[in-house]
Order: sequence, then structure tokens, then C-alpha cells
Amino acid sequence: MKANTINPKISRRKFVALSSASSALMLIGCVPSTGKDKVVNLADGGVETALNQFISINSEGLITLYNHRPEMGQGTFQSIPMILAEELDADIRQVKIVQSEANSSLYGRQMVVGSHSIQSEFMNCRKMGAAAKDMLVRAAAETWGVQPADVKAKNGVVTANQSGKTLTYGELVAKAAKLKAPENPKLKSVKEFRTIGGSFPRADIPLKTDGSAKFGIDIQVPGMLYASVQRSPVFEGKVVSFNQEEVLKVPGVTHVLKTSRDLFGNREGVAVLGESYWAAYQGRKALKIEWDNRGLDKISSETIRNVYLKASKEPGDVLHEKGDADRAIRNASEVIEAVYEMPYQAHVPMEPMNAVVDVRADSAEFWGSTQNPNGTRSYLARFLNLPEEKVKINYTFMGGGFGRRSRTDVAEEAADLSKKSGRPVKVIWTREDDQTAGPFRAASVNTCRAVLKQGKIEALEHKVVAQEIRNQSGSNNKAGRQLMGGVNTEYAIPNVSVKGVLQKHHVPISYWRAVYHSTNPFAHESFIDELAVKAGRDPLEFRLEMMQDHKRFKRVLEIVDQVFNWKDKPEGVGRGLAIAERSGAHFAMMIDVERNGKGVKVKKITTVVDLGICINPDTVKAQTEGSIVMGLGAALYGLTIDKGAIVEQNWHQYPLLRIGQCPEIETYIVKSDAEPDGAGESGLPTVAPALANAIYDLTGKRIRRLPLDLEKLS
Amino acid sequence: MAISFKLNNKETSLDVDPQMPLLWAIRDYAGLTGTKFSCGIAVCGACTVLMEGAPVRSCVMPVSAAAGKSITTIEGLSKNNDHPVQKAWIEAQVPQCGYCQSGQILSAVALLERKPNPTDDDIDNAMNSVLCRCGTYPRVRKAIKLASK
Ligand code: FES
Ligand code: FES
Repeated sequence: MKANTINPKISRRKFVALSSASSALMLIGCVPSTGKDKVVNLADGGVETALNQFISINSEGLITLYNHRPEMGQGTFQSIPMILAEELDADIRQVKIVQSEANSSLYGRQMVVGSHSIQSEFMNCRKMGAAAKDMLVRAAAETWGVQPADVKAKNGVVTANQSGKTLTYGELVAKAAKLKAPENPKLKSVKEFRTIGGSFPRADIPLKTDGSAKFGIDIQVPGMLYASVQRSPVFEGKVVSFNQEEVLKVPGVTHVLKTSRDLFGNREGVAVLGESYWAAYQGRKALKIEWDNRGLDKISSETIRNVYLKASKEPGDVLHEKGDADRAIRNASEVIEAVYEMPYQAHVPMEPMNAVVDVRADSAEFWGSTQNPNGTRSYLARFLNLPEEKVKINYTFMGGGFGRRSRTDVAEEAADLSKKSGRPVKVIWTREDDQTAGPFRAASVNTCRAVLKQGKIEALEHKVVAQEIRNQSGSNNKAGRQLMGGVNTEYAIPNVSVKGVLQKHHVPISYWRAVYHSTNPFAHESFIDELAVKAGRDPLEFRLEMMQDHKRFKRVLEIVDQVFNWKDKPEGVGRGLAIAERSGAHFAMMIDVERNGKGVKVKKITTVVDLGICINPDTVKAQTEGSIVMGLGAALYGLTIDKGAIVEQNWHQYPLLRIGQCPEIETYIVKSDAEPDGAGESGLPTVAPALANAIYDLTGKRIRRLPLDLEKLS
Repeated sequence: MAISFKLNNKETSLDVDPQMPLLWAIRDYAGLTGTKFSCGIAVCGACTVLMEGAPVRSCVMPVSAAAGKSITTIEGLSKNNDHPVQKAWIEAQVPQCGYCQSGQILSAVALLERKPNPTDDDIDNAMNSVLCRCGTYPRVRKAIKLASK
């Protein structure tokens, strides 16, 4: 039995039945919804019964597990069902996995950001699985007239201890569904786990090797028009006029309309709609638009840089303080200082942004790749002035997200155009649109200052100068704690001060994989390395000494030392180290580089990561590999702005890392019984600093400004 | 005027603008969505299909250039996901988001046709312009080696 599909039709029918009768018990993670009287005849044969919103079983014994988190490559399509299957005692290789509907009253928050899914769902999903198993066990015990303690469940079968009689989950489910769901089902001990911790093959992978996986861009709806939108190259430029009549003459073009989307301010564009994408795109090429750039076409990367460098001299707002770093620095005879710079980055998931929306008289439906199904639903409800129940969200596999798809701006364009044209509309962005329109990862300048005393850090100040995602407009100019993400305050340093100088201007920024943890650690961990060098200390020993009271950092550092022989560096190799925490995961990274003609080549990247209980080790390894490749790309390439617009239009100007540049990658997962942390970004924060530190080790050249050019380092 | 070609071994005739890229003809008119749009300028490989067995970038190839030719997309590579390259891809658990993978797999199929036992350099040369934002490269390399055995 191997049937891993996304079948919105089945889930819709079932949950209509489920949600109508059971409102009081629908508290996510606390009380499983009871499956009482929720028997639905399914089109594909058998009677399927829901035990709760995550688990249903048909009379043939086929177990269906509902995954309620969108899948963008992170692998929760498999690992969330693994948690359910663990406590349910079902064989994960035999179940059917179905993507659930978007419904926050059934599933709580479904947004996938910050590597939170496993952390926040671990206990919820265990309870859901355990509650369903409890009901099945009680149903069996009742049938045989024995106590629940006298029967055992395993792999979808319940067995009576004494008589050895057996009943399958399929035979028991109708009866089990009539029982009350337990409020506090008994959970397994970590030692009893048989599914969690196993590298089970991912159920979505076969769908991605034969072309059958459906992404947002693949959705076709009857009567659908396609749209291509020319947005202002200058962020926040306004449409003055456009040649509507002329473009309407392009064959296949049906509408030429002004549109807009909300992304930290109103972003305008002109949309060309057509009977095919090609027709719409041809029409777009014929557009002549007059823009009012409102003076915003003066800024460039250089002007932004100069403003930030100047701002870094300001005192800034204190975000974290321990001891009195200001005084220690003021009174010191020698202060070590360094300035680090990082560029804007685009998310550029391989699947360009897109959305399909059908706005009808009194309802609306969305299909697409989104990290934020609940947000899309409430956004569209507000935008279209509809109650939420009238907005249906069909979320598909995503061709990458990296934070970009947590925004609802593309759905808004599609909704606006569907409303105006009266037809379902699929908006497809081009690669150029995606790369140049934003939102971006924030560029930043970090300044670090420190005082050394007898080979130890006596005081350290880290100042972050950047835009803040949560505060891009309005009158509050005080830096918030979001700005200091990734600055490691765990080192045992007596005087520490972290400061922020908030920048506000109209380049739209947003969450980019690991967010500020993708920038600030470059400065922080490079600076720790500079201080180790200055103090004449080994960079690992230097860090280890300051992490003696931090069990997890201490452990990952010790493993780098002992298992990966930090001090035993091969001839001709430069070796760099960095540590960081992200989404609860603690990791240490060691990068080896060697000379390559006039430049440097990255030879190997080793990561030691402690993220608590690991649901699927192979998925964690895949995520770490992906984070490293993305982090390395971000160290080597960046975006620039000129005349108020992004210069690099497509990948020939803003390259992604290629297979030939990808070093050997090894990931070591620390064994742990602690509750799971997030796996989707671990490794990314440490790549740039560990690389810069390795380059210093090899060449004596200190890199403080990204992107860096590996070809020019001699 | 309709343009005729063999698509996954089936005679196909599409009545579209001859200048329309093969990519959009396959996706929007033949209804096969396994071939993906990503860069649109022949630099990423997501739209790779095989034309007479050789990899081509369908985003920049007018559909008229396919007239009379035989085109294979990911859907036509095998009946049951059982082409040796697909099997190796599943064994190595290559895909993450999956979006680039049709292009990765078809590019690898073409490489292995030419070089049944590719070296690391051969792999770099053939696969260097097939991009993956999720960073599946270590596994792409591993899977190609598995498939070459
Ligand atoms: S979409 Fe054709 S090569 Fe990128
Ligand atoms: S698997 Fe996501 S782009 Fe390659």
C-alpha cells in the first residue's frame, strides 16, 4: 500500500463532516477533536473514519495522516506524520499522507517560518497520535471484555495479551470513533520511540522525481486568465499613465489593468491579462508606462552604505547589556575595533512567485504556493470583504520559500485582477520580477569593539545598523530586539553590550532564511576570531573557555575538537571555525579551504549540530546541506542598488552556487533526549564567518565585507 | 497553424503561436506541468527536456523548432518512476522542494547516455548550469554515481 497523495477533495468532504459537530473540543494540542459519528463514505472505496483532525482510518486498515504544514522542501510533509505515527503505533511506510486544509480553528497556526513546525507541533502531534491509539485500544478491550492494560497495539494491530486474539485498526475504528477522546493520553518514553529518529524515505520524493508533484504554478482552473505584471523598477514608484489601447491589440491579450499589492507600503504595477501566459507576457513587453519615482531613484548601494557607516558612529539603542561594556571600553588603553558589511539578498526560490485566485460573487478561492495559508485566508477575506468561511485556501507544494512565501502580496495581485476581470486569474512573476521587486534580506553594517585583558575578552560591544523587518515605516525610530538576532550573548564575557541603530528607507525587506542570524553572526564570529588571534589563542580553545557553563555549545565545540581533529590540520589547508544558535539548534562549523591558483577553494564544511530529539536524521542532514549551500552563495554573491532599483536582473548577474562550487559536506548530529529544535536553518549562520576565518588562517587576509571573491585572495 | 511533434512517444499537435517557447506549449497546452519555468533565459536548467535524447532548454526554444522532433519530458522518462536515474534519485533522497528536479534528472540522464561512468569533473561540466536553490548538489552527485553503477 503506497499512496502518498495530496487530495484536497477527500479532505474537504471529511472535514465538512468533522467540523460541523464538534466545536468545543477543537482545541489544538490540548484536546483532540472527537471523531464521534464522523463516518464518511469515500469515493475510493472503504469507509473512512476520522479519529481526530489528523488521523483517519478506513475499514480496510489504511491509515491516513493529515499533514497540516505546507511543504517547501523542509521535509515536514514526512516528519509531522512520523510524530503522529510514532504515538499511534502505525508503520510510517504504510500510511497515506494527505495535506490538510487551511483552517486555523482545526489546526492552529499553519505558517511555516523560522523552522518552528517541529518544535511547536512535537507535543501536539504526539498527543493526537496517542489519543487515537488510546481510543483504538479501548475499543479492542471492550470488544474482548478485558482491561485496556491487557491489550497491546503495534503496527496497526491490537493484540490481547492473554488470548493472543488480534483486531486491526481498520476493524476497530468505527467503534473507537464512538469513544470519548482522552484529554491527557499517555505518551511513550523517548526510549520507546521506533519511528522518531529513523531516516525513513520521504513520502514526497517519488512525486518529485516523476513530475507529478503539483506546485502553485502548475494549477489550472477552468476559464482562467494568465497575468504578467510590470511593477515599478524603483521601489514605490507610482503609475502615471500607460498605453492600454495599444497593448490590448496584442493577440491573446484580454485586459490591461493597473494593480497593486501591499508590501510595507503600496507597490503599483500594470498587469496584462491574456488567454495564455505567453500572450500576457507578449502584451507586457509592449507596455509603455510612465512612472512617478517621487525622487526615490537617487539611492544606490553606495549612498545606503555611507548612511549606514555614518549611523554606526551614533550611540544607538541598547538591546542587551551585561556589566558595563561602555565604561570598560572608555577606560581601556587599547580597544580593538572592526567594521563588517553585508549586502542585500533576494530569496529567489526556483519556483517564481505566483498565485491563482478566483473571486466569485460571494466567495473566493486561492490555489498556490504559500508558507502562510491562514494569513492568506484572512488577508483575502479582509481584502474582498468576505467572512473567512467564504475564502477557501488550497495550498500546494512550494518550489522553495526561504521566507519569501510568508508574504501574501502575490495573492493580493491575483485577487485584485480576478475581481476586476471577473475570471480566475493566475499571476506568474518572472525571475527578474522576483529578484528585483523585493522584499529582500536586509543589508547591514555591524561594528564591534572589544577590550582584552590577560588573553581574555574583558568587554565587547556589538552594534547592528540595519533596517528592521517589524518596523519599516511609522514614527517609532527606536531599534528593536529583532535587530540583534544571531548575536551570541552566551559567551562568558564580563561586560557585553549589544546595540542597534535602526535604519528606515523604502527598500522593502523581509524574512530570509535564518533572518538576522544570517548576517549578524558573520560579524560576531569573525570578531571573536580576530580577538583570539590578537590574544594569541587557538580559536577553538578561546571559545571553549568562554562556553564552559553552556552545555550545548561546549559539547559541539568538543566534538569538533575530538571527533573532527580541529588541531590536526592537513598541510596546505586553512581552517576556520564558527558557532551559532538558530531556532534552538546549537551548532559548530569547521571549514577547510586551500589555495587554488590565485584564489581559494572551499574544500570541506563540517557541521556538528545539537537540535534535541531528531525526528528524521536524513532530513536534518538535507536541511543542513541546503543551509550551507545557501549560506555559501550569500557569502559569495549579493545584490546592488543603483538609481533606486536592483541592478542584477537574473541569475547570470546574481549567481546561485553551482554544483562544481559545492564542497564536501559532513553533518554530525549530537544524540539528545531534549525536545526538538528547528532544523531548517542550522548551519547557515556559521558559513560566512567560518569561511572568512579559514581564509584568514590560510592567507592572513581578513574579510570584513561581503560578498567576498574567492578568486581574488592572494 | 498546428505544430506537430512526438511528445513522450505520442504524436502531438498544438495550435499555438510558433514563437511561443516550447516550455509554455508543453505546460499550458499539452498540460504536462513537470517541466518547470524558472529563469526564462536559459541559465538554470529547470525547463530542461530531451529533444532527440539531447537536453535542451525549453524556455528559449520556440515550439516551431520542435516540429517533427521527438521530445521527452520528465513524465515520459518512465512509466513507474523506475528509470535507473529516478531510482537512484529516490535512493539518495535528492529532492527537497523538488522544483528543479525534473531538470536535474533529465540533465543527468543525458550525461549518463554520453558517459556511463562520469568522473567528478564530467558531473561538474554537465550539471554546473542546472541550478538548485535548495542546495541538493551533494545528493545530485551521489545519485549520478549510484545510477552509473
Ligand atoms: S527556465 Fe529555462 S533555463 Fe531556466
Ligand atoms: S530541490 Fe528545491 S530548487 Fe532544487
